[in-house]
Amino acid sequence: MRRIYAVLCSRPESVCNFIEAESISGPDTRFVYKHYATLYFVFLFDSSENELTMLDLIQVFAETLEKCFKNVCELDLVFNYSKMHTILDEIIFGGQVLETNSSEVMKAVEEISKLETASSALSLVHKSVSGWRSR
Amino acid sequence: MLYIYMLGYDVDFGHMEAVSLISAPKYPEKQVGYIVTSCLLNENHDFLRLAINAVRNDIIGRNETFQCLALTLVGNIGGRDFAESLALDVQKLLISSSCRPLVRKKAALCLLRLFRKNPDVVNVDGWSDRMAQLLDERDLGVLTSSMSLLVALVSNDHDSYWSCLPKCVKILERLARNQDVPQEYTYYGIPSPWLQVKTMRALQYFPTIEDPNTRRSLFEVLQRILMGTDVVKNVNKNNASHAVLFEALALVMHLDAEKEMMSQCVALLGKFIAVREPNIRYLGLENMSRMLMVTDVLDIIKRHQAQIITSLKDPDISIRRRALDLLYGMCDVSNAKDIVEELLQYLSTADFAMREELALKAAILAEKFAPDLSWYVDVILQLIDKAGDFVSDDIWFRVVQFVTNNEDLQPYAAVKAREYLDKPAIHETVVKVSAYILGEYSHLLARRPGCSPKEIFSIIHEKLPTVSTSTIAILLSTYAKILMHTQPPDLELQNQIWAIFSKYEGCIDVEIQQRAVEYFALSRKGAALSDILAEMPKFPERQSALIKKAEDTEADAAEQSAIKLRAQQQTSNALVVTDQRPANGTPPVTQLSLVKMPSMSNVDHNPAEQGVSQANGTLSVVDPQPSRPSDDNIGDLLVPLAIEGPPGSATLSGHSPVFGFGGAPNAEDALAIAPVEEQINTVQPIGNIAERFHALCLKDSGVLYEDPYIQIGIKAEWRVHQGRLVLFLGNKNTAPLVSVQALILPPSHLKMELSLVPETIPPRAQVQCPLEVVNLRPSRDVAVLDFSYKFGTNVVNVKLRLPAILNKFFQPITVSAEEFFPQWRSLSGPPLKLQEVVRGVRSMSLVEMANLFNSFRLMVCPGLDPNTNNLIASTTFYSESTRAMLCLVRIETDPADRTQLRMTVASGDPTLTFELKEFIKEQLISIPTASRAPSPVSLQAQPAEPPQPLPTSSPAALSDPGAMLAGLL
Repeated sequence: MRRIYAVLCSRPESVCNFIEAESISGPDTRFVYKHYATLYFVFLFDSSENELTMLDLIQVFAETLEKCFKNVCELDLVFNYSKMHTILDEIIFGGQVLETNSSEVMKAVEEISKLETASSALSLVHKSVSGWRSR
Repeated sequence: MLYIYMLGYDVDFGHMEAVSLISAPKYPEKQVGYIVTSCLLNENHDFLRLAINAVRNDIIGRNETFQCLALTLVGNIGGRDFAESLALDVQKLLISSSCRPLVRKKAALCLLRLFRKNPDVVNVDGWSDRMAQLLDERDLGVLTSSMSLLVALVSNDHDSYWSCLPKCVKILERLARNQDVPQEYTYYGIPSPWLQVKTMRALQYFPTIEDPNTRRSLFEVLQRILMGTDVVKNVNKNNASHAVLFEALALVMHLDAEKEMMSQCVALLGKFIAVREPNIRYLGLENMSRMLMVTDVLDIIKRHQAQIITSLKDPDISIRRRALDLLYGMCDVSNAKDIVEELLQYLSTADFAMREELALKAAILAEKFAPDLSWYVDVILQLIDKAGDFVSDDIWFRVVQFVTNNEDLQPYAAVKAREYLDKPAIHETVVKVSAYILGEYSHLLARRPGCSPKEIFSIIHEKLPTVSTSTIAILLSTYAKILMHTQPPDLELQNQIWAIFSKYEGCIDVEIQQRAVEYFALSRKGAALSDILAEMPKFPERQSALIKKAEDTEADAAEQSAIKLRAQQQTSNALVVTDQRPANGTPPVTQLSLVKMPSMSNVDHNPAEQGVSQANGTLSVVDPQPSRPSDDNIGDLLVPLAIEGPPGSATLSGHSPVFGFGGAPNAEDALAIAPVEEQINTVQPIGNIAERFHALCLKDSGVLYEDPYIQIGIKAEWRVHQGRLVLFLGNKNTAPLVSVQALILPPSHLKMELSLVPETIPPRAQVQCPLEVVNLRPSRDVAVLDFSYKFGTNVVNVKLRLPAILNKFFQPITVSAEEFFPQWRSLSGPPLKLQEVVRGVRSMSLVEMANLFNSFRLMVCPGLDPNTNNLIASTTFYSESTRAMLCLVRIETDPADRTQLRMTVASGDPTLTFELKEFIKEQLISIPTASRAPSPVSLQAQPAEPPQPLPTSSPAALSDPGAMLAGLL
């Protein structure tokens, strides 16, 4: 991770978004990255994917986050880590593209969060704690 | 709990809890259960088996959100067991019409995961028809996922999915021509680029399209894409449309379309590499080099050469790399001079990360396409001068070989070498080359001004204080040669050189010391000197190590794409051609060297390496060949005296049976031996069998053996103490191979079962033979595959070692300091803990050693040992008798002397400890004869094989891996 960061930071604004990553993460791998203001998105993939579609996927991911958080920034992501993961889960599944339609993704995410809030989080915590004690 | 886990602590205690939460009835509990399980457990974890049932219940249940959760879990961490028990249910979900798209698309990708884990569960009868039906789906989300699944299925086996092909074309038409998609699936005006790209990718896995209608409509779509794309303002739209475009290009290349369409593509690419957008430039360059492999559009591409060279100066390193690759690929005889000069110029400004690759590529190109040899020598000397640090030894070895083999070149090279020595600051490698060449050929220049032996000696001697020990050794040889060539003898020079020799007689480096002593003794012998120190015989014409290296890397880049596969076939054909050439070219040369000095035959073997004691008078004392475990061709080049080049030993083996196949001290020699075998058996292996075996010890799939007729590939999967190997027997010819026989000779600790091998392999076909392995006990013995076949009148019989060795039954494991030390202490003393000081270790840095251990699945645990010169590694060994057994290894190295170390191995089983210790020792010490035995093909060529081979000394023991190992044990 640190090495990726070092590589990315050393790259100037106007260069292309692809880096060959064989030295960092094994043969036949590439990074594609994109940054929005202060956020860097990095995807790692191999030769079975098209580079530009990956770049587009980053764009979709970013747009979905945008929809979800309204003007997304790093604080949003830090505090809503789980939500970001849910979104990512809905877009990429087992390393493959699952859904590219951001409104569809949003629908699924909202459904899940509704379910989450429906049952009280308190009771869950309570239950697991008592579960621990009984062991 | 996740938090604890993230902080790096072990949370074994919670796994059970997490798994049981999965079967909880409420959503939040279930969710937590699933999340924790998928984060904490990996696919091989035992607890997951417990969860299978609960997961299955969710999948076949009616609640869709539960289904989603379950599918996500399986899709992310599902293993083989999941594949076996769940595949059917997931398939049902995927094709059921009652589910929502949300569930179905997850099911598709989940199935993909299961398919990757275990291909058999998905390939049931009738599934391909269902797959074709799936492609009629209207919902694009499901379609995208199904397409990903299809790509995987087709890449594995395209025959069964022919029916899907026209459907794919239809989808493309629907997307690209009719733009028939819901609004929300268009991305910046492009109808779902992802789906388009995936569809075209799937099409690339079908070899060709036979149906003319489908083909026509596909070309129509492709034409539309190719023509309809322009560079526009909006970056995102640009990206999307070009993604589609590049994929279309790849498809066109794959389909081998008409010339017109091809040139259209090249024109487009030419446009791309000149645009401002760096991404597109990058991809343009890459696709151009891909295009090179497939078709001969070289001439069209050459028109863009200037533009590509400009790209070398691009600010972006990714683009520069691509440009370099492309230049390398497009080079041929006509433009080699320009390109190589360009590369040389660029070398001085290139960044460090690229220089090594650049130097290597320039050297290869110069060699491949050199219009004349003096140019080649110029280029390489320049190259070494400019980027000495980045020039591998192979490169300068190769120059020396060339010069030695071409008499016309020798004076020229010597002059050049002399010129380089005049420069004020030169790289050490230049010193090496120059010294070597001048030592051999400086007498050819003796009449020129400034080139008298004395002057040459003094100019070379100036460099001596600045160079490293390996160079000093070469310099000493050079002095000896200069001395020999000085006729009439110059007493002053002689005294000077003798003084140097006697100074180095006490040198700490054994190599230098030996040389100094020997040369000193030799040079006192007077007339005999010139016989012994005569010119080096010609090297056998062999395939360039560099080109071989380049081909190896190409062959290694095994890519699933059909385009690549085709390209690979091309390279392997090239290999066949180049390998046969040296076989025909050498015999005259080797015989020549034999005739020239028949009286020397007694010295022609290498006692140190063979272990044969030679009691033949005075000359054996002066045997010049240093006994050094060298594993590259430095052995050839550094042989300082001309008594014996490796080819001599190969030829002599026919005359003096006792010395037999000689010491084959390195890989190159194994090749050099081939011509002798040529007389008896025309089939010779491609590549070095021993090297292939060693590569397979580290990885799980690759080529075990190859000759002009057959290629044997191997793919292995290891699960605890069991293994499943698949042998791929591929017939490379258009005629069938008959009387195919494969026999496994298992050592006592392995239970091996080979399925039936068919007697005939049809032309161009590949047969798969699964082989089951069970490890009973720890042991280092190696299983041998006795393989024979008949092609025409040739009967070929090879004995191949199978890479089912000790380290394959390891599972790397990291231990923390808290776990390590109690374990280490509890295993006290022999036989559970053994310690040994190992000497003669192949020199490597600590990092290299750590990598070596890791590649043998011995996990190096950094930071456990307070001393940074030590390494600690751990692993778990599985066998039927020992079950899972923790093994701990500690290596203490001496920074001052890399050739020795102390090794301590501990485990709960005495045999395991011993075997593991020996195993590691074998890996650390390179045993030249053992690891590089000559190819075992054609054992009938053995002259006068002794009935009971004596371990280590007999030639038979060296060439038969089984016997060899027996000798070692």
